[in-house]
Amino acid sequence: MRPPRRLSFTRDGKVVVALAIAIGLAAVNTGNNLLYLLLGWILSAIIASGIFSESTLRGLRLQRRAPGVVYAGQPFLMEFTLDNGKRRRASYAVELEDLIDGDRPGGPRRSIDKRCFFLKVPAASAQTATYRHTFVRRGRHELVAVRVATRFPFGLFRKSRDVELTTEVLVYPALVPVTTPAARAETRGDAITARRGRRGEFFGLREHRRGDDRRDVHWRSSARSGRLLVREYEDELARDVTIAVDNALPAAVREAVADGRAAPDALAPGAALERAISHAASRAVAYLGRGWSVALCARGLVVPAGAGRAHEARLLRALALLETTGTDVPLPTPAPRAESVLVLPREGAAGAPGYVHVVVPR
Amino acid sequence: MTFGTVHKATTYAMVATAMLAMVGGGGVSPIFTLIGVIGLAASWFWEAPRVNLDRWAPWWTAASVLVMAYALLMGIATGDYLGTGAEFLLWLTLAKAFTRRSMRDWQQLHLLALLMLIAGSVLNVDLLYGVAFLLFVVTATWARIVFQLRREAEENVLLRHRPGTTDASDPAPLARMLASRRVVTGRLLAGTALASLGIFVASAAFFLAMPRVGAGFFLKGRTGLSMAGFSDGVQLGGHGVIKDDKTIVMRVRMPSGYDRKTAPPIHWRGVAFDHYNAGSWSRTAASPVSTYTVDEPARGRERRLIAQPGRRDWGDDVETVIAGATRQDVWLEPMETDVLFGASMPRVYDLPVPARRGATRLERNDEVRQEHGSTIHYTVWSDLTPPDAAELRAAAGPIPLGYQAFLEIPDDITARTIALARKITADAQTPYDRAMALLTWLRGELRYTLEQADPGDLDPIDFFLFERRAGHCEYFASAFVVMARAVGLPTREVAGFLGGEWNEYDNYVAVRAGDAHAWAEVYFPGSGWVTFDATPGADADAARVDTGIRAKLRRFLDTLRFQWTRWVIDYDLRKQLSMFKGLGSSLKDAAKAVRGAFIDAKNAARDNLALSLGVGLAIAALVAWRVRRRWQRGPRGPGALPPRARGPIARAYALTRRDLAAAGIGRDAALTPRELVRQRTVQLGAEAEPLRELTELFYAVEYGGRPGDGSRADALRQQIRAALKKPAR
Repeated sequence: MRPPRRLSFTRDGKVVVALAIAIGLAAVNTGNNLLYLLLGWILSAIIASGIFSESTLRGLRLQRRAPGVVYAGQPFLMEFTLDNGKRRRASYAVELEDLIDGDRPGGPRRSIDKRCFFLKVPAASAQTATYRHTFVRRGRHELVAVRVATRFPFGLFRKSRDVELTTEVLVYPALVPVTTPAARAETRGDAITARRGRRGEFFGLREHRRGDDRRDVHWRSSARSGRLLVREYEDELARDVTIAVDNALPAAVREAVADGRAAPDALAPGAALERAISHAASRAVAYLGRGWSVALCARGLVVPAGAGRAHEARLLRALALLETTGTDVPLPTPAPRAESVLVLPREGAAGAPGYVHVVVPR
Repeated sequence: MTFGTVHKATTYAMVATAMLAMVGGGGVSPIFTLIGVIGLAASWFWEAPRVNLDRWAPWWTAASVLVMAYALLMGIATGDYLGTGAEFLLWLTLAKAFTRRSMRDWQQLHLLALLMLIAGSVLNVDLLYGVAFLLFVVTATWARIVFQLRREAEENVLLRHRPGTTDASDPAPLARMLASRRVVTGRLLAGTALASLGIFVASAAFFLAMPRVGAGFFLKGRTGLSMAGFSDGVQLGGHGVIKDDKTIVMRVRMPSGYDRKTAPPIHWRGVAFDHYNAGSWSRTAASPVSTYTVDEPARGRERRLIAQPGRRDWGDDVETVIAGATRQDVWLEPMETDVLFGASMPRVYDLPVPARRGATRLERNDEVRQEHGSTIHYTVWSDLTPPDAAELRAAAGPIPLGYQAFLEIPDDITARTIALARKITADAQTPYDRAMALLTWLRGELRYTLEQADPGDLDPIDFFLFERRAGHCEYFASAFVVMARAVGLPTREVAGFLGGEWNEYDNYVAVRAGDAHAWAEVYFPGSGWVTFDATPGADADAARVDTGIRAKLRRFLDTLRFQWTRWVIDYDLRKQLSMFKGLGSSLKDAAKAVRGAFIDAKNAARDNLALSLGVGLAIAALVAWRVRRRWQRGPRGPGALPPRARGPIARAYALTRRDLAAAGIGRDAALTPRELVRQRTVQLGAEAEPLRELTELFYAVEYGGRPGDGSRADALRQQIRAALKKPAR
């Protein structure tokens, strides 16, 4: 049960109530009718304040828009559109706050402590404002409601109502700088330029990707299809990489997290794993950026090899949602023909990277 | 006006009205009032870019300390803590207005204004307070709303995120916001002014409804306030012209039994004197104490029946006397004297008993007294018609014990005065005829004037009768009393008011300080005391009505002032109870009327079935239409924006967009759907064409308002979906 609206006194409100009590006592004590009049005024103003604030909140419609891509640890802008559906009256001094579920299920919701303030939304019009926020942790973050609040008109009370509005923000693992892998077309370095046309057997045509050598464009087919197509050689398929993340955590740590006793990254093994995942994501993005075909595996997870923007989204999504397991779940073996990058979490001294990066050459 | 200017103007208006409420009653010295008004006006221009406020701040602090010391000293010296406190408050407001910089200072100005209003509730009970209060309700609503908007805007310093980035932003310049004309519009001010009238009405309702338990009167009389002048004594022999004082001292409602057009002006009896000495009248211990029987008709009230010894109706009970007398409801302003006035001859007084009685004092000569620091409301029943001449001629009998004092002839009365009295009454047979002879002589032989002359060494009455042969009412009354006593009539000098101005707007008599008058009362065995007014032309003067436009306006304003006094200043538990009783009975009447109307309607409906059915249907249709409209408009509280597009095409487009985003082909917020297609054509490959078609369909429906083929949109969507699902190579 959540009350439809909340009312809390501001500091000014408390002062005014105290003043009203004092005036009331003085009025009863002296019988001075003008003090009764003043008391009546203060009480009426309090009532009017309730009516005004109700009118300000009435007829508001809001929309929240999250950006398409959000990385942990990186600020993003959340956008609110506030639409005043009232035909005559403007709304003043409206605050919007996003709410997330509290730590206990069914418990009070928490505000994420970022506010959007609208000084005036004229009648029958909409305004947009943004707040900047950073999610520290990867994964699924659910904004469950928006708290619409106002201190209009006299600043004596803060009246708020919660609007149920769910937006799921998928936060990808934080990207960290990693060493740039060699571009796919340049893997052979000088060898390619020296031995042009002798790069193995012709395999087929495929769409042009970032990083492709322009000399590989098959112009005739491109002209026919209206798309840039490049020749693909069998040899190139070998430029595959499999990134493996060991997402096992000691049972004690997992239990603590499951019970809500600790945040996923609060304990040292958890923090190391998070850093490892972040590193794996960064490497995956780097490889994909250079045109590699990337596969991902972890305990209980296999993402087959692929390339391109869509695949990048798929990998980041998988890593964002990657759950920890015990050591009983086996780590799948990387595809036999691919190079492998094994990312193992490692607890270490502060400042040390929380992972071991093992490149297993073919 | 700009936001900043509106904020400043509304706050100043609020402070000014609060100041008016406080100083309007004259409780603050004129010098401080003047300083306050001029200072407030000057502080409007005293602000930051023009003046270096930091440099002046220590001076203001030092001056405030000085003023506080002055106020303390003055408070101790004069005992008027309230007045000096108000002066200090006025100074603090000025100092704040001159040093205002931050929102905090503006906030403190609000508080100071409220304190001034509270101080005014004690210092200013005039109608002016009511006017200032009404203005304050409006200006304070404005000032507070605008202040709150500005403060919140400053607290939430509006940030503008730099376009194209997510981690950089610039504060919106405050100056620009304050210069905006769009935040606070005339519409907002007009709307809130209207709303504040609602607040005013609600305050009035609260005021009337809040139970008046506790003290019904001020614990302490307000001293030092302006009081209407009526000196509790008569002194002859002044000089100069008596000024006409327009201050209203009392208002009287006479529900019935008084025809103001034909009846002579009323003598409002107040004080009476028995002893004359060297031109001045006084009460002596020899005069009889006012005697009355007291009963308590209600809690907190007492009723006094004045018993005049020797009267024929001596011993009648209160109800009998009241039944035969004329009722007056009197609202008497605080005066220098605490005597309560009533029309001659007053018989019964019904008055409130103060919560704390002052020292009991002996009331003599049928006076009734009650201390009152504010307006007092009481009821009097009087015999307006004096006994007729035949009855008075026939009056005979001994005078009551103690009435010898009313026969005493002072030593300084000259022999020629007594001789004159005897000469005038030589032919009169009865005491009444003697009194009438004196009255006729004084009215006919002497002249009335407001110009006073110095009698020098002569006794003032002798000087009046034989030298000046002209004077004002006190001379006539004094001469009559002395001469009547000289011929053996028990007589006393009476002071009060004569007549008063009839207020045609609210049907009451307004008596002014300038209506003060003096006359005489003569005792007749069996009939009691009878009024004799020896002043020539007094009745005619009092009956004259000023019909000029200014007089009419004055009377109208007085009506307002009277209502203010009756319903605000003088409102008490008794009035509250009677009002609730009245409200209850009028509700009952209304209910009865509604029931009657309902029965009538039922009968009419039976007679006229078709018409009533039509009306019923029309009402039902209207209600249904309203409900439908309300329902269509959706919930009235704040809610989430419904998805704007709801048609099949828009839905297909939205779902496709979701699929695209899942495939990593997201859209920047700044891209339109068409731009998205154009930008991602290459990336989309085979899916580009169906997406382009779907986008165009979406545009046509969403922005063109043209109907589209929903099934085609679904087909396109499936096509794109299938293409996206193909495994990436």
